[in-house]
Amino acid sequence: MNILVCLKQILDPEVPARDFSLARSHLQADPTCADLVTNIFCENALETALQLRDRHGGRISILSLGPASVEDTLRKGLAMQADAAFMILNDTGHLPDSAATAKALAAAIGKLDRLDLILTGHESGDWGAGQTGGLLAEELGLPFIAFVDEIEETGPDRLILRQQNDSGWQKFSAPMPVVASITNSDHNLPRIPKIRDIILANRKPITSWSLGDLELSPDLFLPEHLLVRVTELTIPQAKGDCAFIEGATKEEKIGKLAEKIAAIARSI
Amino acid sequence: MNTGEATREVFWNISHGWIMYVLLLPTMAIAAYGIWRRFRSWRRGLPVAGRLDRPGERLLHLWNHALLQRHTMRERYSGIFHAMIFWGFITLTIATTVVMLDHDFGLPIMRGRFYLYFQSFFVDLLGLLALIGVAMAGFRRWKTKPVKLVYSDEASWILILAAVILATGFFLEGWRIVVTADPWGTWSPVGYATGFLSAKFFSLDTLTALHRWCWWFHLILVFGFLAWAPFTKMLHPLTSALNIYAANLQPAGASLKTVDFEKAENFGVNRLDQFTWKDLLDLDACTECGRCTEACPAHAVGKSLSPRDIILDLRDTLHRKGGRNEPDTGLIGSTDALRPERLFECTSCAACVDACPVSIEQLPKIVDMRRHKVMEEADFPETMQQAISSLEKRKHPFAGTESSRTDWMRELNLPHASEAQDAEVLVWAGCGTSLVKRNQKSIRSLAELLKKAGVKFAVLGRDEKCSGDVARRIGNEFLFESLAKENIETLKKFNVRRVITSCPHCFNTFRNEYPQLGAPFETFHHSQFLGELIKAGRLKITAASERRIAFHDPCYLSRHNGVTEEPRALLQNTSRNSMRELPRNRRNSFCCGGGGGMSFVDEPPDKRVNRERAEEILATDADTLAVGCPFCTTMMEDGINAAKGDRGIEVKELAELLNEATSGPNPI
Ligand code: SF4
Ligand code: SF4
Repeated sequence: MNILVCLKQILDPEVPARDFSLARSHLQADPTCADLVTNIFCENALETALQLRDRHGGRISILSLGPASVEDTLRKGLAMQADAAFMILNDTGHLPDSAATAKALAAAIGKLDRLDLILTGHESGDWGAGQTGGLLAEELGLPFIAFVDEIEETGPDRLILRQQNDSGWQKFSAPMPVVASITNSDHNLPRIPKIRDIILANRKPITSWSLGDLELSPDLFLPEHLLVRVTELTIPQAKGDCAFIEGATKEEKIGKLAEKIAAIARSI
Repeated sequence: MNTGEATREVFWNISHGWIMYVLLLPTMAIAAYGIWRRFRSWRRGLPVAGRLDRPGERLLHLWNHALLQRHTMRERYSGIFHAMIFWGFITLTIATTVVMLDHDFGLPIMRGRFYLYFQSFFVDLLGLLALIGVAMAGFRRWKTKPVKLVYSDEASWILILAAVILATGFFLEGWRIVVTADPWGTWSPVGYATGFLSAKFFSLDTLTALHRWCWWFHLILVFGFLAWAPFTKMLHPLTSALNIYAANLQPAGASLKTVDFEKAENFGVNRLDQFTWKDLLDLDACTECGRCTEACPAHAVGKSLSPRDIILDLRDTLHRKGGRNEPDTGLIGSTDALRPERLFECTSCAACVDACPVSIEQLPKIVDMRRHKVMEEADFPETMQQAISSLEKRKHPFAGTESSRTDWMRELNLPHASEAQDAEVLVWAGCGTSLVKRNQKSIRSLAELLKKAGVKFAVLGRDEKCSGDVARRIGNEFLFESLAKENIETLKKFNVRRVITSCPHCFNTFRNEYPQLGAPFETFHHSQFLGELIKAGRLKITAASERRIAFHDPCYLSRHNGVTEEPRALLQNTSRNSMRELPRNRRNSFCCGGGGGMSFVDEPPDKRVNRERAEEILATDADTLAVGCPFCTTMMEDGINAAKGDRGIEVKELAELLNEATSGPNPI
């Protein structure tokens, strides 16, 4: 099976609140305020692919769109034992929206051998739009299943994909090729790479394309061409409040506390 | 009588003495074979530098710890009986050599005063001490039975044999004295008494006959023992001496090896030939005394880690055909003591290394094997994995911390190293301090103290990355190296040469490990630096308290680096009351349980090292526990809070206590 996993590099969503800051434009986070990490759901997707390959064999390619730093994300993916890595270099300084991202990814996928399964994370820890997987399927004209946490191969050309939903899960049978967005579960925790593989990963080649190489317009990511534009970004101010409950007896205090909680609950 | 003529007849009552020489040959051959086999197996180890350099220091070390038995004596009872046996047998060996030189080589030395004072009296006395020593050892082995010993038939036979050899020696001496009416006999009081008493029960003829039989019996026992010893733990007089000579002369904190990732074929150890020759020599030097396991905090709280059994199991594998038929699956997991879970129970406290009387280094071997599990197999406890992956992503091990590296310096206006070219020193906070809320107070106190004293210092803020200690102890040497190199580069960029830190783990890394990567720094634990400031009068104690302070020595300060007095001197300044010493203090301190990556592991409540230590502390009348390490602070605070009940006791960091008590020329 030929699998492609799309990996997104994002600012560490676990950045301590005090370190988090906005870029001067106030349209995105300050890219230097935190470390860059691979989006966790993308890592879950890669782990899902690795487990499929462990069971059935096949080949895993990884693809990432972003500035030169996405090489780190790809190297980490290679260390986790992906077979080949590709990147679309975005050196325009502009952030694409989900649709533009999907367009670029689709263009790159057009350059690859025929794929049977394309995985993305179900959303990213920075913007959390959760659109790319679906839009990519749209671009490629393939079926799409979201919120998948388990995939089984059932025959030469069909897969069973288990989708998480609010009340449990449901299973879909889909023809290959198919696009799925992956969410986390107990059994797709990303594996820790072995050091030998990390060292070897640093020696593996990474194919890099510019937008031009993919016959995409250099203006693709310009804000005025995006379908979704950020117009304002603010950091919510956390407010703390502290009140002491007074009362003569324990019962009285408990009663007052209960009233207070009820009042707060009503107000939100 | 003219003492100048004093001597005795060698081979008295013995005919066919030549048979002894004939027997000596195979004895020596068997013993030599036994030693050669061991030697051959050590040679399978990798080369290692710095084990045979500095001969002067090494000979001194050998003198102190082999000949004078200093380390062995740290434990009273066993130290005494071991010294008695050791010096007794050394003396008897010298005496036998004297006989040989005199009789076989015609050197007339067994005469006169030397004969009387040394060869008779001294040897007799030391022989008696050895016999008493053996009896004490027997009493321990068969009566008091401490758990730390290995109860093998071999060990029992060795004791029995030694006792019989010594006793028959006295019989031989005594019977010769009475039968020959040796005029110098009283110079050998024990022998004399033995002969005198024997003569009360037996006729002289009987004693003469008994003597002849006993002589051959004694000879065969001695030769048998000599031939057998190299195949038993009784090779240790040789191997332990070699091992003490080749000991690590650096601080214990400098004992982990670096890995050359460009060249190394394996990372860590899972086969004997991946150890160095010194590691293999260590295995054969083990005397099975069990002191390491007795000192091990993990073992003490009921975990199954046992440094002694790790050494012994590795040794047994080495002995099986010279270690050539190692388990196919590798060393790790091949025996009970080598199970991976056990290796990951180690807090890297080095109590085992410090306890070992013969300079065996258990901890580096544990880390070597952890390296294999972590780097080759990526198979290690999940909580440690979280710490490692946080280190990879965020350069600190505290996954999910809500603190930022700059939180503690808010409103203090501290200059970053890039803008403080005139700074005397850099304050290195360390992740355990800056990213754990409780510990921010300690480092703030340190900064305030330095300000009071007018010290010009800089900080790195977000440019600080984990020193790498946690990664290294967990076994991820690769990550350690990359963190270390990143830090070294940052520090070089800002021309930093002197560093103060309140974290003994960072202290150890800067002091002992960055130099291994070619980057020496002048490193101070804050207790050292602050002590200097007090001495220099830059900080004045103006508000000493009434606290009854006990100090919990951090492993990475005391055992790993020998720093024990500076923190005490400093603390003593802060209170009018005298300090309370904990039963286990200084090098003998008991780990808080937080080192070696263990502070990231959730442990079962009944097997927590900090709990055991907390109880020791609560049994004193201290009202303040002083700590000097961010990991100790959190571990001990947790431990004490869980155990203290109504008892009033506070856990305070050194700098916090000093800050309360001092003023300086500069108001903050
Ligand atoms: S370093 Fe400490 S915890 Fe580890 S084996 Fe030795 S004594 Fe036990
Ligand atoms: S390793 Fe050292 S302390 Fe431990 S049992 Fe052997 S000789 Fe004793």
